[in-house]
Amino acid sequence: MRRIALAERPDWRSKAAECGFGFHTIDDAPYWDESAYYAFSLREIEHDIEAPSEELHAMALDLLDGIVGNEQQLRQLAIPEPYWDWIAQSWRERQPHLYGRLDFAYDGSGPAKLYELNYDTPTSLYEAAFFQWQWLEDQLARGQLPPGSDQFNSIYESLVEAFGTIARGIARPFHFAAVRDSVEDQGTIAYLRDCALQAGIDCGTLAIEDIGVSADGRFTDLDDRVIGCLFKLYPLEDMFRESFGAYLPRSGLQLIEPPWKALLSNKGILPLLWDAHRGHPNLLAAEFDDGSELPRGWVRKPLHSREGANIAMHLVDGRELRTDGPYRDGPCIRQACHPLTAFDGHYPLIGSWIVGDRACGIGIREDRSLITQDSARFVPHAIVEEARGVLVA
Amino acid sequence: MKRSKTAALLLMSTAPLLLSACDRSESASREGLYTSVEACVAQTNDSATCKQAFDKAQKDAATTAPRFANREECEAKYGKEQCAERNDGASHSFFGPLMTGFFLSQMLRNGSPMNGFNSAPAFRDSNGGWQQPAPGGAGVYRSGAGTAMVPINATADRAVTTSRSGFGRSGSSRGVGS
Repeated sequence: MRRIALAERPDWRSKAAECGFGFHTIDDAPYWDESAYYAFSLREIEHDIEAPSEELHAMALDLLDGIVGNEQQLRQLAIPEPYWDWIAQSWRERQPHLYGRLDFAYDGSGPAKLYELNYDTPTSLYEAAFFQWQWLEDQLARGQLPPGSDQFNSIYESLVEAFGTIARGIARPFHFAAVRDSVEDQGTIAYLRDCALQAGIDCGTLAIEDIGVSADGRFTDLDDRVIGCLFKLYPLEDMFRESFGAYLPRSGLQLIEPPWKALLSNKGILPLLWDAHRGHPNLLAAEFDDGSELPRGWVRKPLHSREGANIAMHLVDGRELRTDGPYRDGPCIRQACHPLTAFDGHYPLIGSWIVGDRACGIGIREDRSLITQDSARFVPHAIVEEARGVLVA
Repeated sequence: MKRSKTAALLLMSTAPLLLSACDRSESASREGLYTSVEACVAQTNDSATCKQAFDKAQKDAATTAPRFANREECEAKYGKEQCAERNDGASHSFFGPLMTGFFLSQMLRNGSPMNGFNSAPAFRDSNGGWQQPAPGGAGVYRSGAGTAMVPINATADRAVTTSRSGFGRSGSSRGVGS
């Protein structure tokens, strides 16, 4: 794994505009950054990222049968009691899920270490599945990458295939919903909807704020149609707390991601995974936080923190890092500190995409800090085989 | 190759659409959910296909119906008297719902059904909702232990909306995705 500087495509901004990539620059700061790329060997991708991703995904799903019937664990995961049966039912029925992202610390040496599962509302999907793919094709065509360079990225094909597979299980009308004013979230659902349409599924979009409820507790769209299935790029745990949440269990609404994802997109799954697979090479030691002082070599993370908010890191050398954010109250976990490795002063975090149950690609976000926050930039990657044999001068 | 062969955009792209491979008239299909062979014949006027579809659905129901360890759990979901004891042929017995309907789908060409059909059992839960077994795990999905059940789509209902904006309080312009 190497970080290699490379000239940008001169026309990437106009390509972004043509392809609906409206958030390559966020709040005047660059988000898409193709001034460099990460080069991996095929072995690094297949052996160190793809295979462990599928294994960890299966390990996480295998915990669910136990969790849905375990009151203690449901409390540890801070799942509100009114939603327990609804979540359990959704898992027993294997209500269809679409995607998730595992975040790994990895630098090409030693096993990738799982930081967390983003299994409910993962973003950075469009840039990984589409714009990164186009970057590779363009740079190959321009002769800027070694011939034969590839990319771990069949995310697009897997999304269309997954939508095709679950199409008959999706209740209609089917809407994609996200926060109205977030360009990034709106871009992500626009892309998912595009993939669903390509799979032949008729669907629309809706602002999460525009969802209505009827007198008998069913959810409606702006035409007063009862929503059959809602893809919501909106955290399940927030829906639980908000005023319409109480209607969810009896509304008949199908959700994607389904309710059982609340058990996985929750940092509480990390200690449960560790307990079940202590010493697994891709897992970091983890435990539920008891509120006492954080010892050296540990990181404290709120169960529901997103974008690196409210993280406390106590490095082995005694340094302490903290980030602010909205997740001040509420339960936390502790995870063994395994800091990201710096490449030219940047700290890359590998997001490994699972679509359906298949590991199908990665996206890399790098930040200037050990804690990856929403200031991170998306940097493309390529699979480049190391030169071997005779060098022709 | 570890990457997608193409990465098409349908609506997000301003470029002209180049997806012409799928001819809509070729891929039309007719699908019905019937509670009896008679109801099927009344609609399709094809008694041979209806009978075969019913027989195949009933045979499939024995293997694809959801399984419960006891009658109470099954009846809680599917209603009183709606469950029967079954076994898997290897002396493991379990309870499953009775088939209450079946699906028949046929491809159409120029409006007429083509040879061959797909059929599947359908079950009605105690809330009146229809369900069918999900297609087997393959491709991007691994096959799970239990049979997944999926809702059968009915025509969309309408309901008078009494309130909106009950979701979204946690939103911000930076979004809530991760």
